[in-house]
Amino acid sequence: MFKSKRLLALTIILVMAASMFFTGCSKKEEVAQETGKVEVDVFQFKVEIAKELENAARDYEAEHPDVKINIQTVGGGDDYGAALKARFQSGNEPDIYNVGGPQDLKDWTSKLEDLSNEPWVEKALDGVLSGATMDGKVYALPFNIEGYGFVYNKGIFEAAGIDPTKIVDYASLEEAVKTLDGKIKAGELKEKYPTLEAVFEYAAKETWVTGLHTSNVALSQEFPSSLDAYNSKNVEFKYGDSLKKIIDLQADYSSNGKTRAKLNAVDYSTQVEQGLAIERVAIIQQGNWVYGGVKSIDEKVADNLAILPMPVVGAKEDSIPVGVPMHWAINKDSDDASKAAAKDFLNWLYTSEKGKDYVVNKFYFIPAFKGYENFEPQDSLGKAVKAYAEAGKTVPWVFMGYPTGWGMDMLGANIQKYLAGEMTWDELIKDSQERWTKERS
Amino acid sequence: MKTSKGWFSIFVGPILFAFIVVVIIPMFMGVYYSFTSWNGINNNATWVGLKNYVEIFTEDKEFLDVFLFTAKFAIVSVISINLIGFLLALLVTKGLKVSNFLRSAFFLPNLIGGLILGFIWQFIFTKGFDAVGAKLGIEFLRGWLADTQTGFWGLVILMSWQMSGYMMVIYIAALQNIPDSLLEAAEIDGAGSFEKLIHITIPLVAPAFTIGLFLTLSNSFKLYDQNLSLTGGGPYNSTQMLAMNIYNTAFKFNDFGLAQAKAVIFLITVAAISITQIYYSKKKEVEM
Repeated sequence: MFKSKRLLALTIILVMAASMFFTGCSKKEEVAQETGKVEVDVFQFKVEIAKELENAARDYEAEHPDVKINIQTVGGGDDYGAALKARFQSGNEPDIYNVGGPQDLKDWTSKLEDLSNEPWVEKALDGVLSGATMDGKVYALPFNIEGYGFVYNKGIFEAAGIDPTKIVDYASLEEAVKTLDGKIKAGELKEKYPTLEAVFEYAAKETWVTGLHTSNVALSQEFPSSLDAYNSKNVEFKYGDSLKKIIDLQADYSSNGKTRAKLNAVDYSTQVEQGLAIERVAIIQQGNWVYGGVKSIDEKVADNLAILPMPVVGAKEDSIPVGVPMHWAINKDSDDASKAAAKDFLNWLYTSEKGKDYVVNKFYFIPAFKGYENFEPQDSLGKAVKAYAEAGKTVPWVFMGYPTGWGMDMLGANIQKYLAGEMTWDELIKDSQERWTKERS
Repeated sequence: MKTSKGWFSIFVGPILFAFIVVVIIPMFMGVYYSFTSWNGINNNATWVGLKNYVEIFTEDKEFLDVFLFTAKFAIVSVISINLIGFLLALLVTKGLKVSNFLRSAFFLPNLIGGLILGFIWQFIFTKGFDAVGAKLGIEFLRGWLADTQTGFWGLVILMSWQMSGYMMVIYIAALQNIPDSLLEAAEIDGAGSFEKLIHITIPLVAPAFTIGLFLTLSNSFKLYDQNLSLTGGGPYNSTQMLAMNIYNTAFKFNDFGLAQAKAVIFLITVAAISITQIYYSKKKEVEM
């Protein structure tokens, strides 16, 4: 009796240990064999579209019964790059994943499938493939184009008697900001906008806002494209003073204007949801992606938003940065059937009528491809970005060409030090230059 | 004797096996990777010898700062956690009516995950403190986590809040092991409650102090999730602790070799500090 109990315990333990070991291995192949379906694993970062992308995949499956698409999303506040690396290191490699620009392309070069012969390549808008091209070959499909600038509340400007169409350079922007600031402090707008307390809110805690987006405005005047930034051995900060002006303007006229160090605790949600959306501030430096977040809080505010240029004194003053935030890439080491299905899925998503409808009307993307004449952006900020793009008043996104980690973890951290008074502007420039050169050597 | 061997393989065997697979083997693999330059993506890692170690000690100024910050944090939080934990244990063993309720209340923070705790306290520090500060006009309460000092104390407060309850449980067990006869004898001899505490209680709970110090010391050094969710290392990486610095080196700068070398140094230091601490605390223990 006693012996059989012991035997039972031993067996249970062995079974448990064994099952721990053998699950997880080769699950995908098993499923494929059982159902005869081709499986495509997608690992993507855009949380905003996660649900709609899932629906798109189901629609695609309905048209292609032999394909199964599994979508996994890691992003938003989470570190997609790290999660992706962990996923690859675990041996459970996805078939479709996302890459940024030239630096990512270089890092992932051993895992990228050449997509030069895909049908969508010819349909791409001018210049949008520059971040996805390496040695003349196209390796990735641009998600969409996005633009950012000074997103402002038209109603507040109107109430303060400022004409936004007159803001075309730094001088006029500064004047408008000062007028607005004066009126807020004098309490003239109290009646109509009781929560309004400052002109700007600046999310210095988010190093992507400062280190990538703000810095890009000046550095895109130095490097014509992200590829040039990527190939550059050093950074000059030719328009460093103009960059300082843009940062100072946003910091000085924010709610923490007098205690600038405290800006380092302001995060994205404070800036967008507890700033712009509740009309606590009039202007924030963000892009068309904030539309959804603002809309979920106050639809009226969201539809009353537009974008002001980000003026770089001495260079282009009336433009906003427009670029490709992320690309779809296909894993070179996946099996052929999965690769073929993955290519077809991406092509379907961006070139079929059904796919286009998803891209524009469900994801709220501004497409990076031709052939979208019947699909106009629906939201106020998408329209604003499109208007800038059509008028040619754009500068490129070059931060994808910064050395790995330089923009967010070095420059962004330095800007925090500058705001806290721990570092002078000259030290910031010098330190950032040195680190760029070191990373590139 | 023979049966005990059988039981050993049944109960310890699986754990030992798992421990070897998930701790010991990866540790040796990690030591190997610390001698390579690997970006975490390619399948092959090139051997570079001691280059990574040399770089840590010559070029990487940040690592030293991070190390000092972590050490400072560890010292302050070890003291505060154990002190608070011990005082709480004394409080709840006094035989108050609400002791049982208090025990659960103090222990509760331990049941919440570190990440969530970090976000809760982030809200308290940035929004709650700010609102109170604005209402009462206390400038000190505003802008918490925006500079290094408040970030540091924020982390200490968070950790003390989380871990004191756990330490309390350990100290309660030790306190209840002290025979009442000893305390009564001391009382008859005319000792006051402070003298009893110093001369009887504290020496007799010394073994618990050994454990408590060890747990808090190693936990403070290894802290990652609370650090990530509370401050994220910001502002300007000044509240970054060792584990986070290693993670960032690996995953943000794609330098897995260097990160692994840092991790090896980290392992050796934490092990050395913990072993020394245990050795000295053990000496202080008295046998009953």
